[in-house]
Amino acid sequence: MEKTFIIDGQEFRVQDFKATAEVVAFSLEGIKYQYSLVTREGPEFILDRGTRIHAAVSSANRDGESVIIANGVEALGSIGGKKIKKDRAAVGSLAAPMPGKIFKVLRGPGEEVKKGEPILILEAMKMEHSIRSDKDGKVKKICYQVGELVQGGAILAEVDG
Amino acid sequence: MKIKKILVANRGEIALRVLKTAREMGIKVVTVFADDDRRLPHALYADESYSLGSGSLHDTYLNKAKLIAVAKECGADAIHPGYGFLSENEEFARMVEAAGVIFIGPTPESIVLMGDKIGSKKALEKIHIPLTPGYHGDDQSEDTLSREAKKIGYPVLIKASAGGGGKGMRIVHQDSELLEAIRGAKSEGLKSFSSDRVLIEKYVLNPRHIEVQLMSDTHGNHLHFFERECSIQRRYQKVVEETPAPNMSQELRLRICETAVEIARGINYRGAGTVEFIMAQDGAFYFMEMNTRLQVEHPVTEMVTGHDLVKYQILVAQGDRLPVRQTEIQQKGSAIECRIYAEDPDQNFMPSIGKIERIGAPGLRDVRLDCGFLDGTEVGVNYDPMLAKLVVWGETREIAIEKSIHSLNEVLFLGVKTNRDYLKRILSHPKFVAGKTHTHFIPDNKDDLLPRAHTAQDRADLIAALSFAERRMTTAAAASSHGTASSTPWTALAGFRN
Repeated sequence: MEKTFIIDGQEFRVQDFKATAEVVAFSLEGIKYQYSLVTREGPEFILDRGTRIHAAVSSANRDGESVIIANGVEALGSIGGKKIKKDRAAVGSLAAPMPGKIFKVLRGPGEEVKKGEPILILEAMKMEHSIRSDKDGKVKKICYQVGELVQGGAILAEVDG
Repeated sequence: MKIKKILVANRGEIALRVLKTAREMGIKVVTVFADDDRRLPHALYADESYSLGSGSLHDTYLNKAKLIAVAKECGADAIHPGYGFLSENEEFARMVEAAGVIFIGPTPESIVLMGDKIGSKKALEKIHIPLTPGYHGDDQSEDTLSREAKKIGYPVLIKASAGGGGKGMRIVHQDSELLEAIRGAKSEGLKSFSSDRVLIEKYVLNPRHIEVQLMSDTHGNHLHFFERECSIQRRYQKVVEETPAPNMSQELRLRICETAVEIARGINYRGAGTVEFIMAQDGAFYFMEMNTRLQVEHPVTEMVTGHDLVKYQILVAQGDRLPVRQTEIQQKGSAIECRIYAEDPDQNFMPSIGKIERIGAPGLRDVRLDCGFLDGTEVGVNYDPMLAKLVVWGETREIAIEKSIHSLNEVLFLGVKTNRDYLKRILSHPKFVAGKTHTHFIPDNKDDLLPRAHTAQDRADLIAALSFAERRMTTAAAASSHGTASSTPWTALAGFRN
């Protein structure tokens, strides 16, 4: 069986995927892997793949993503087929990357902006974060006013390319 | 007078830190909390704990009148301000004492003096404390400026007095560059700020941030607890601190510590304080500022000297003599503190929020995790993103580094993105390992500190972990749909979300 995993935004297709409560086996990029479960406690696991590794996986957030820690390496991941968050509200998008307060509006509707130019500044955790235009264009809309509280992921401004 | 009950006017790990020592001394502790903090441990584990309501910081943790009212109402003898918040607020210190409550900290006069960056330097100049050499005079002739620059010694920084943001700033390394630099700075200053007035300062190349821990009682005893090296900073925020400072001779160590003691004596200081110095690579050091409070990074000093600084703060506040002599304070081994932040170092250090499902505990000896959260508590948007301080002691610096890297893997903070991996990259950087620290370490080694790409093995490990976790989640969900007598929808849900 084929199965798709998203690790840190990148898609991986694994072949010959088999999973029981005790064993997970698959091949990835031509290499075969097999892991058996030694023990688990809540979100933490000890897995055996010839040597033993420690792993922990958080419950999925509402976008289906979990924080995965495996052998000291940390990543965000999800299993294909579930709803995947499309834009991870990365630095540079016009969505609020986290909840916060509108600190400053630097460009108004109708104004020209260059790609990468800050349009507004969000204040969160006592720090300022520039929300930058993702393209050259004209500001279409500023969705909030200075001082307003916004949720993480809220669209703060729109730019027409 | 013996203090019997302390109100801690702070939150998170530092509130718990004070609580712990107070308990060790048989003193009762009262904590306060903003309503969004009501599930954090500082709001749960004190002898008494009171809500400060909700709203902005000024309505809660910075609400001086309310804090004092709580202290009076619950019969606290003393208030410990922690760090940050009201710890260096002289008005609060005065209000506390006017209310007949002991302020566990310096006198309001010391807070005022050291809070004034220019005034403090003037006061220290009088007692011959080394300040960054400079010329700020009115005589702006080229002759005078050249003479002063030579007197300070190269390299020097020529700056437009009215300047900022690097405009009109020149670094001069030798005589031959001097006149041109003065003229350039003057003309740029004139253009940008309508003033051609310049000042000259010693330019410290690759400076180190070295600070000295002080403790003074009200009987004329001023002690130092040695130095801390805090050069690993990102945008003036300390990230990794350690003691003893690496690559420092014992002679220099004692000289800088004794200079700090002279400052405490010179201003008749009281309580815990820290003098921060800027140190050139050749060991010359200059006073930068004094922090009139307990520092975030105080635990490294405690680990290496074996003395409890909060205990001494409390003893001094109740008028006792410090129970140790300078000769009884020794450094043993090496300690490193890593500040664990809820932030994503690979996404421009964006703060992250969310629920911490599992914190994890360090398993090695002489490792301390000062943390203000519990499993299942939320990291919100309203406060500093520091989650915890991992403080590790080792017989040698090399061992302390290795133990720190190991311990960072043990404290998971599963659920929020943290800088743990970034801290590991710093600790394993060859220049850090060699003790070649200076305040530009992070920007200078930016490329080396980027995340390592996942190997094929890493990816397989992550996929396997996720597969097992998914199975657990779906199994729990299936069990809930069968609705056995013992599993109510609530317990099944708890299992699913665990």
